[in-house]
Amino acid sequence: MSNWARPFTVDVSDADLELLRKKLELVRFPDELQGADWEYGVPLEDIKRLTSHWRHSFDWRKAEAEINKFPQFTTDIEVDDYGALNVHYVHQKSTVENAVPLLFVHGWPGHFLEVRKILPLLTAASAEHPSFHVVAPSLPGFGFSEAPSKPGFAGYRYAELLHKLMLFLGYEEYVYQGGDLGHVLGVYVANAYGHKHLKAWHSNMPFYRPPSLLSNPLLFLELLTMPFNKTLSEQLSAATRFRKKGMGYYQVQATTPQTLGYSLADSPIGLLAWIYEKLYKAVDHYPWTDDEVLEWISVYWFSRPGPAANVRIYYELTGGNAHDLFEGTRWTSVPLGVSFFPGEPVRLPKSWAHLIGNVVFQSEHDAGGHFAAFEQPEKLASDLRKMFGRGGPAYRVISGKDGYA
Amino acid sequence: MSAAAEVPFKVSVQEEELELLRKKLELTRFPDELDEAEWEYGVPLADLRRLVARWKDGFDWRKSEAEINALPQFTRDIEVEGFGTLNIHYVHQKSDVENAVPLLFVHGWPGHFLEVRKLLPLLTNGPAEQPSFHVVALSLPGFGFSEAPRKKGFASKQYAEVANKLMLSLGYDKYVVQGGDWGHYIAGYVATHYAHKHMVGWLSNYPLAPPPTFRKFPRLYVQHLVTPYSAREKQGLERMRDFRSKGSGYSNEQATRPQTLGYSLADSPAGLLAWIYEKLVSWTDGYRWEDDEVLEWVSVYWFSRAGPAASLRIYKENTDGLEKMADEDVEWTSIPLGYAYFPKEINQVPRVWLRTLGRVVFESEHEHGGHFAAHEHPEELADDIRRMFGKGGPGYGVVPGRTGYAAGHA
Repeated sequence: MSNWARPFTVDVSDADLELLRKKLELVRFPDELQGADWEYGVPLEDIKRLTSHWRHSFDWRKAEAEINKFPQFTTDIEVDDYGALNVHYVHQKSTVENAVPLLFVHGWPGHFLEVRKILPLLTAASAEHPSFHVVAPSLPGFGFSEAPSKPGFAGYRYAELLHKLMLFLGYEEYVYQGGDLGHVLGVYVANAYGHKHLKAWHSNMPFYRPPSLLSNPLLFLELLTMPFNKTLSEQLSAATRFRKKGMGYYQVQATTPQTLGYSLADSPIGLLAWIYEKLYKAVDHYPWTDDEVLEWISVYWFSRPGPAANVRIYYELTGGNAHDLFEGTRWTSVPLGVSFFPGEPVRLPKSWAHLIGNVVFQSEHDAGGHFAAFEQPEKLASDLRKMFGRGGPAYRVISGKDGYA
Repeated sequence: MSAAAEVPFKVSVQEEELELLRKKLELTRFPDELDEAEWEYGVPLADLRRLVARWKDGFDWRKSEAEINALPQFTRDIEVEGFGTLNIHYVHQKSDVENAVPLLFVHGWPGHFLEVRKLLPLLTNGPAEQPSFHVVALSLPGFGFSEAPRKKGFASKQYAEVANKLMLSLGYDKYVVQGGDWGHYIAGYVATHYAHKHMVGWLSNYPLAPPPTFRKFPRLYVQHLVTPYSAREKQGLERMRDFRSKGSGYSNEQATRPQTLGYSLADSPAGLLAWIYEKLVSWTDGYRWEDDEVLEWVSVYWFSRAGPAASLRIYKENTDGLEKMADEDVEWTSIPLGYAYFPKEINQVPRVWLRTLGRVVFESEHEHGGHFAAHEHPEELADDIRRMFGKGGPGYGVVPGRTGYAAGHA
């Protein structure tokens, strides 16, 4: 077991590249209904174009070299009952010594590279705004981290691993930013390590259980008066639409991830379609280039544990769809900042953000979607600077590390 | 169009297709698996490895193909309003008994026309004192060796239209239907559109129906309120609840994003195998699948005329992308309706609910069996069909002049 930060570079083997090439050569496409467009799922024309690009133009080695410009490491983190898991992460320190240590956690189908555009913004030194030391891991089962080998690696195990990673890096106190499952895991980290270690956190996908009469009477009453509140109705109906129409992947991944995994591990276009659908639908007019998409998918294709491991997180977090993603968590008073991006498909009425935690910062944008750090790094960085900077509600949450020189 | 215009059909997969399959199987990249996962997270890795290895070396498709081709298969063009002509593949086995009862067998997903295989000899060539049937088993549009619709919106009404027109084209002006899974729903829609005029009775092995509302079925509604559930019904509800929360992810995805899933199933034999095999095992009742049996089943999907992605669309089309229930537009008709209950069926509602679909005149309770009744327990299902439509049965003589018996026995 290595208890030191081993520098890491992504280095996909030639054999893996060759296997991908051979598979792409043998690809068998499905048919498609006339005029289907996006009504039945990813259009055939998109997949054919992307496949052709993947075969003939996309240069993985070039992408790999770019990825390796980020300071990456691996280390073993011991998790109760699971032994040591080798965790891959980006760790970029700011030149500002007292920068705020920030843990950036991706979701699904995201990965550690979602931090790539916001990284220079957060670590940059300036008198005008605070700086951060940024840690962006690959969650276990994703990217270049090991996957747990035993069943039951649920929310608090992820939280434990993330927390221990920060401790290992010397950050006894830290802040946290996440969206998608990164937000969900933030709830767990706040529950387990809030105040003592996690001093404040931020989410770009503020989401929690709906209010019940017992837990949140005021919000529950708001829910009852909904028919008379047009904005609330609209917001909830958008959320309901997503729930009904966009949750197939969730249902499959939360109940039979292994069955799905055979396809994702074996078919490049199967994996491509499964993920690209989310990349396309969950963003706000983001002009994906084919190279960008293929690099994203390739990280999944070439991931260390393989593409079947990552979908298990839905099963583990929900107990096989026995409960929601937040089992065993509650509202905490850890200072929380939330950012609302218009293209985020998982949206609840804004007032419901108070269900998650102690909202001290709120920001609403007119552009950006689910992958906020990737789509709108400036806006998200600006939110974090406002929240943690001088005059902000979370200024100096970590004593001695206010983010300024 | 006369029955004599049948175009004989033989399954004949191209050599290039077999070669492509073999090459893909050779390049299979397997996922990892959690320790001792067994069936908790889906199909076990050991099963997949074993089946893929067999599929690659050992399973003999040509042998299967030859056996399939021993069945009398045909194709014919069926015109569907608004959708042009679809070339439909079907098995048509006539009984020696001239006045056998015409019966249409409709499969579901992930089933196919071969589910009728074990029933055929029992229904067409049973003992003289039992009723006989002329059996037609089609490949639904988008499945097996039938063409798939090319346009959006090919839904329940259209499936019913194809089924009805096929029977009429074979000279069966009146007929009965047997179906489970989508076959059950389609039978319901054939009844809705063609009851009495053409379809005159049906037996379902899929006991699913909407609950009675007070407005539409006041008597059933009250009956449901006051009648306690039997032990079997309670078990059935448990099974259904379990299925809904743990086993219906596939149907949600297929009803909303069939194309997205379709890329995997078209491109990866291992992926398709896992996706279907999971149902073959979890929906049956201790049925001992042989590896070659499984591989033959999945190969029909792999080599299907329209490809495996086309078969998924029925979920989206018939529920309008989850906007409505698949049986929402089935109307109650008074043609005799029978149910065969198999304990491991995935969807089982209280028996009172089943009466919202039709005039239930026959019910048969079984101790064993699951979703693929015709394949798992052909004797029992054949027996149900005979008892319902045979002499003394509640569906006897529904097809005038074709009671199912040779002269002197009727």
